[in-house]
Amino acid sequence: MLLLKNIAKDFSDGREKRRVLFPTSLECRAGELTVLSGPSGSGKTTLLSIIGLVLTPSEGQMFIDDLEVTALSDVEAATIRLKRYGFVFQQAMLVEGLTILDNVMLSFAIQGEKPPADSFEKASALLKTLGLEGTAQMQPRLLSGGMKQRASIARALIKDPPILLCDEPTSALDAESGQVVMETLKRIAIEENRVVIVVSHDARVFPFADRLIQLESGIITSDTRESNQEEKEIVHASH
Amino acid sequence: MRSYVALRMVLHDRSSTTGALLGVIAIVFLVGQQLSILFGLLNYMSVLVDHSGADAWITSENVRNSDASGLISGRYADRVMGLDDVEWAEPMLISNGLFRTKDGSYESVRVVGTKRPRLAGGAWEFFAADQDAMLDRESVTVDRLDLEKLGNPRVGDITEIGGQQVRIGAITNGARGFQGTLVFASLDKVSDIARTPPGRYSAILVRFNESADKQAALERLRAILPERSVHSAAGLSKLTRTYYFTTTGIGGSFGFSTVIAVLIGVVIISLTMYTSVLGRVKDFAVMRAIGARKLDIALVVISEAMIIAGIGVFIGFVLLSVLLNATNGSSIPSFLPDEVPALLAIGTILISLMGSLIALRVAVKAEPASVFH
Repeated sequence: MLLLKNIAKDFSDGREKRRVLFPTSLECRAGELTVLSGPSGSGKTTLLSIIGLVLTPSEGQMFIDDLEVTALSDVEAATIRLKRYGFVFQQAMLVEGLTILDNVMLSFAIQGEKPPADSFEKASALLKTLGLEGTAQMQPRLLSGGMKQRASIARALIKDPPILLCDEPTSALDAESGQVVMETLKRIAIEENRVVIVVSHDARVFPFADRLIQLESGIITSDTRESNQEEKEIVHASH
Repeated sequence: MRSYVALRMVLHDRSSTTGALLGVIAIVFLVGQQLSILFGLLNYMSVLVDHSGADAWITSENVRNSDASGLISGRYADRVMGLDDVEWAEPMLISNGLFRTKDGSYESVRVVGTKRPRLAGGAWEFFAADQDAMLDRESVTVDRLDLEKLGNPRVGDITEIGGQQVRIGAITNGARGFQGTLVFASLDKVSDIARTPPGRYSAILVRFNESADKQAALERLRAILPERSVHSAAGLSKLTRTYYFTTTGIGGSFGFSTVIAVLIGVVIISLTMYTSVLGRVKDFAVMRAIGARKLDIALVVISEAMIIAGIGVFIGFVLLSVLLNATNGSSIPSFLPDEVPALLAIGTILISLMGSLIALRVAVKAEPASVFH
């Protein structure tokens, strides 16, 4: 479980401080796909970056299960990202020069870890599950946008992370590819019981959300989980 | 695995890899070529000492190099022969002369006179005829590499040196000195050419017995000859090289050329690796985002530099070997002591790493947050 308590973020341009994210509390559970949405500048990417431990909050606390991860050193944050997170970026961001299989295995390579004996099998199985059988030895430039994005999902999942963060995973894709990617992410969230958080301003993504959080000007303006909870309370009270 | 990532990047980024490789190859080849000429010239400087076959040289006092000794009495040889440590002691006479070519012109030569029949200090390798030819009082040698300069004389030709008639008895192979063309002759002939007083020589060459403690024997020689300089052959060789190295500007000249070659290599490596890393900043940012530490990124860049350096050093040495083989036995002095290639390889790798530092700084500064839209 991911827990944020009064997380806020300020940016300074050298002369004045500007608050881009106001105190925000949030709890994200395994087994659900959460979508963070909002217009440009709403703070959704900032929130995702803080959740992903690439930005340190100016205020508040953050926990992964019982582990506080608010103010980690650069090395600690990198290690926790490697062990507990998977990332899917807007542009897939596969490393040219490495094969698709190498890209999937990159999480093992980057801290010099020796891959477990079954990791190549697992990577191949992941590619197959994501409809990328036969692409293992190909260079990224030879794949379509949708295929690259699915390969990046395989990269994100190779180490079985409990948390999967996706930054605009469908915005560079056509409708069909985007549909496939979102179905995949939904399945990962529910069937594999992971915390999946997707940042997107694409309304086509919303139907896949178990929970939709809207942000505007750094403040959560709506949260479907709270709305549902209120409705449940009203129904319970009326009975 | 980080080095595997680095290798794949090196293989993929062909243009920047090629550029950096050229920088490394430039360092190895240019510096190696400079060093080979420098060591070749150093060999020329002390060639007579290094090939004398002697363990010690007795010279006039305050000698600064083996080519410039005042004349000493040949009786020192007799005195020294009385010592138990000494196997032989032979005089040697070095002087200048004018060699008369076939067309009537003259070339300045260094004439080296050695005593028959041992001919200690004389020619050590022959291209035509052999050492026996030098047992003839009138015989002289010329070197294969100087034949054209001396008018292409042949074995058996009669000519003059310093007004004295001589016969070309043999042709040596690679007997060249720093001060010019070397011509070996009998002691008597050189004495005639140089018009030196009888019994006066440039040096007495001494060989110790195999079983003798050479250092102790050297000390004993010095003790009985306080009025003379007694040098070990190795010591005189070093003294001669140091003298020429420091007084002729060779050291400064080669040092400057070497520094320029290194700078060229460093600049090429720095620029091309910097360009390569700039093109990969997004990749490094992604790696940081998915869990690479700055150290991991640094190791990838360093691995890239080491891979390029390793390949570049190999190619550089192949090219250098081709050059050295091509110039072996030519008039270009070229020689590399055994330890120099290893030192050059290590030095080049370190310089390559230094050249990658700017790229390294850019790579580790790649911000993971930048990959989030």
